[in-house]
Amino acid sequence: MSEVQKNLWKDWRLHALVLVIVVITELMGTHEFSVGPGVILLLPMLYAIIIGLALYFTPIIKEKQSKHAEPLIVLGVTLLIAKIGVIIGPSLPQIIAAGPALLLQEFGNLGTIFIALPIAVFLGLKRESIGMTHSVAREPNVGLIMDKYGFNSPEGRGVMAIYIFGTVFGAVFMGLISGFLATITPLHPLSFAMASGIGSGSMMAAASGSLVAAFPSMETEILAFAGASNLLSLSTGLYMSIFIGLPLTEKLYNVLNKRKDNRTGANTGRGE
Amino acid sequence: MLKNIQEWTLLLLIFGVVSILGNWIGYNIFPVEAVPGMIILILIALAGLILQKLLPIRIPSIAYVAIIGVLVSMPWMPGSEQIVAMTNYINLLALTTPILAYAGIAIGRSWTDFVKLGWRTIVVASFVMVGTFLGSAVIAELVLRMQGII
Repeated sequence: MSEVQKNLWKDWRLHALVLVIVVITELMGTHEFSVGPGVILLLPMLYAIIIGLALYFTPIIKEKQSKHAEPLIVLGVTLLIAKIGVIIGPSLPQIIAAGPALLLQEFGNLGTIFIALPIAVFLGLKRESIGMTHSVAREPNVGLIMDKYGFNSPEGRGVMAIYIFGTVFGAVFMGLISGFLATITPLHPLSFAMASGIGSGSMMAAASGSLVAAFPSMETEILAFAGASNLLSLSTGLYMSIFIGLPLTEKLYNVLNKRKDNRTGANTGRGE
Repeated sequence: MLKNIQEWTLLLLIFGVVSILGNWIGYNIFPVEAVPGMIILILIALAGLILQKLLPIRIPSIAYVAIIGVLVSMPWMPGSEQIVAMTNYINLLALTTPILAYAGIAIGRSWTDFVKLGWRTIVVASFVMVGTFLGSAVIAELVLRMQGII
């Protein structure tokens, strides 16, 4: 938190609203429904973000509250991380035993390149797709792309687009798909717990929260592994992108584009 | 610095009160039981925030908070059992609900940017997230199986 923001605690209107949202959403409680073999969990935190967003468009929330709320997310996350710290501590022997899996799954973050980049190119996106798909586009990656290509480059616009999507929908999206994917695929909940740590506190909380709700008997292990993995992502994610993710995205983009050019070239050739 | 500590403390206390109420309503944990654990979490968070300002190394404050949290709750640490027992009364999801409520209020301002993005971005963004998530899970599954952990 920077020194500029002072006396945020005095914004009683904001805190009272959050209190009301929390009371309402916790009273509503968790609901689940099945989609085919998978389960979608609706958790109080998901209603909370949607109610908060909806309130922004009513006169109840003024611009000031919205501005004040931003640094408070960071502060709230420190409390969440403290809780995750004390879950990791007792599980440390277990986490050390699972260390190799935890380290190697960081490479799984490259999965976005192989899955999302071809789709972006297929949809006709140009160099934007490099910024969009080289990582999950959290703060360090936005910094990396801005540094390398500049703010007003296509790559910069791409990374900002995903960053904004992640900010607005990341937690809701991860919360919805993690429980669903964990129940629909044969993969073990612990594998998904490790995958939940993608380098964003709120997304990790949402993803692991849904996993806990779907597999309540494994609560401590799920939270410990998700937390440890998130810490690892926070500390290694940027280097992963610099040395592997971004060069790989550039290469794959060139390959995909060449193939696409050839095909469209042949098509126009035939057409003439 | 002092002003900062005062501000953080007051805000964390507000967060704590809201979370404890959510913890009560959503997870049936009586506030009296949750207070000691919440105080511990607030102290860990404060220690991390202060350390980040004091130490010259530029790493995010949440990294300090996490390290302190792990250190005080390690099995080898004296008193860790009590810390774990007390913080067990705080449900993780009870902490995330207020965070996401603040987040919802804050992201309203990004909403217009979001609307401008266009449908292609939304499709790509969904695959970006699913790709990372599934990619990591598949690798974790393979290694955990090789190790015989699952």
